[in-house]
Amino acid sequence: MKLFSRLVHPYVVWISIFVLAPMLLIVLYATTTSGNGTLTLQFTADNFIRFFSDELFINVLINSLEIAVITTLICIAIGYPAAYFISKMNAKQGAILILLITLPMLINMLVRTNAWIGILSDNGVINNVLGFFGFEEVKMMYTRFAVILGMVYNFVPFMILQIHASLSKMDKSLVEASNDLGANRMQTFLKITLPLSMPGVISGITLVFLPAVSSFFIPKLLGGGSELLIGNLIETYFITTGDWNFGSAISLIMAIIIMFSMYLTKKVDKGGRD
Amino acid sequence: MKNKVIVAISLCLCVGLVFAGMKIFDKGTSGEVDPMEVYGCDTLNVYNWGEYVGENTIEDFEKEYNVKVNYTLFGSNEEMYTKLLGGDKYDILIPSDYMIERLMNEDMLAPLDLSLIPNIDGLHPSVVGLDYDPENTYSVPYFWGSVGIVYDTTVVSQEDVESQGFNVFKNPKYAGEVYLYDSERDSFMMALKALGYSMNTSDLDEINEAYEWLLEVKEATDPVFAQDEIIDGMSTGAKALGIIYSGDAAYIQSVNENIAYFEPKEGTNIWSDGMVIPKNSTCGLLAHEFINYNLEYDVAYNNSDMVGYTASLEEAKTALENGTYDGISAYQPRENYEDDEVFRDNPDMKTVFSELWIKVKAAS
Repeated sequence: MKLFSRLVHPYVVWISIFVLAPMLLIVLYATTTSGNGTLTLQFTADNFIRFFSDELFINVLINSLEIAVITTLICIAIGYPAAYFISKMNAKQGAILILLITLPMLINMLVRTNAWIGILSDNGVINNVLGFFGFEEVKMMYTRFAVILGMVYNFVPFMILQIHASLSKMDKSLVEASNDLGANRMQTFLKITLPLSMPGVISGITLVFLPAVSSFFIPKLLGGGSELLIGNLIETYFITTGDWNFGSAISLIMAIIIMFSMYLTKKVDKGGRD
Repeated sequence: MKNKVIVAISLCLCVGLVFAGMKIFDKGTSGEVDPMEVYGCDTLNVYNWGEYVGENTIEDFEKEYNVKVNYTLFGSNEEMYTKLLGGDKYDILIPSDYMIERLMNEDMLAPLDLSLIPNIDGLHPSVVGLDYDPENTYSVPYFWGSVGIVYDTTVVSQEDVESQGFNVFKNPKYAGEVYLYDSERDSFMMALKALGYSMNTSDLDEINEAYEWLLEVKEATDPVFAQDEIIDGMSTGAKALGIIYSGDAAYIQSVNENIAYFEPKEGTNIWSDGMVIPKNSTCGLLAHEFINYNLEYDVAYNNSDMVGYTASLEEAKTALENGTYDGISAYQPRENYEDDEVFRDNPDMKTVFSELWIKVKAAS
């Protein structure tokens, strides 16, 4: 065993080069002024003050959180029943359905999101079908609806897989015992199944909320600039403006918010199990 | 168990040897000239815009000079600049005018030896010695054009466009039909021009007025801010009115005959993208050869024929005007018009513009 523990060393090196070093760079950029040499660092808190003193940035932040929360809620609403019914099926059918859910994930996200443009656009698939039946054209592209749809579509598999994993490893005899002792199906679900699947829901929330809150290309492609999210803001400051210091500060604020929300969900998770 | 390991190892060896063998073959092809001897290097790193080159241009260059070209793409000048700052090494870049100026100011470009680029004599007079590089010391134009209004003549009235210029984007009649670029540079250019100011202004009052103008546009027609989606969207008729670079308009006009292109009377941006050699290039001689190669008639013709942007080589432009792009107005950008301008690099105003642009986009 001791021999194997040395195998962790390359991993530590890997982590420090590819995870720790970039994080430290972001912190460094965020807390310094621009135009620094390697030796003459000038520390400042201006970048953070600038972010929190401008209503514009706060609104973008709130908008991002709002969209991420809505996306997460919809993902639970769709993902939970889906996972529940898959876990009720026999192993073979369930495996096929899980395969079908994971299959689109083998295709690049960018490609799948681009496909939605063809479906949602004014002369796209949906509007063609609607037009055929004499309905009026519905504007879907470049709206908040399109952005949330794109996010739900891209992230819902994470939710289903997580919930399904925790549902399928649940001890079935508990449900049988509950039925045996006279609980009806609703009671069994609420008292047994739901609490036991909570860890899956919690990790599903983490896996959906985090990418949703920091996503930048989905709002860019489907929102057409109408929905400016924090990810787009970071991209703008890094690429277009070239203000890496402020961009890093926004990234850091984002990272702190994400870590805090992870801490919260962990807390809820633990509380549920006690 | 042991057998499996042996099989795995021999499989790895097989694959490895095949690749090694291919590498040897790779070097063995043609090989009349040894590029290492002539140019001191045999690989050229070219960094260009996406969809901005003829079908066989790169391949033919590789064959003709017996070299390898690493051809990579960028989507915006700023993206290219960021990569360059990050320390990536290139031998040829093809950025736009103002970006070339910035690179010159920051001492990031190598001066050209024009005696190695004899084909430069064939350049169109409109792109020789532009303000930012009057002697073509650092850059040689590749494509050029204007920015204008593209519209579907079956939906948008020609009279509206021609009488209102960029203000047509504020016309509530066309609400929901408008595409604008998601770029502060192009958006503020059109706003400043519509108001009769210079697009290179540093006057904060004028810039603020332009900001108000953009907010009014957003209010009146709820435009979609996009990039290359405009090309598709206009070709298929998804929307009917937009701002566009002339080369993309030429492409749209060639696939959809209802599309017209108009350069507003208030003036617009005349731009050019030029080939430059960054200072840290270690393959300068071959890079010069590449620039000269792109100004050969056949190459320039094929490049421009393929993508629809106006060739910088006069002879190729004339041939295409009477050939592939006959009757397509966007292929011939306006020349010598007093109110048209070229973008200059203005580092002080960069943050002002981008912050205001974020505000425009975030406004609801």
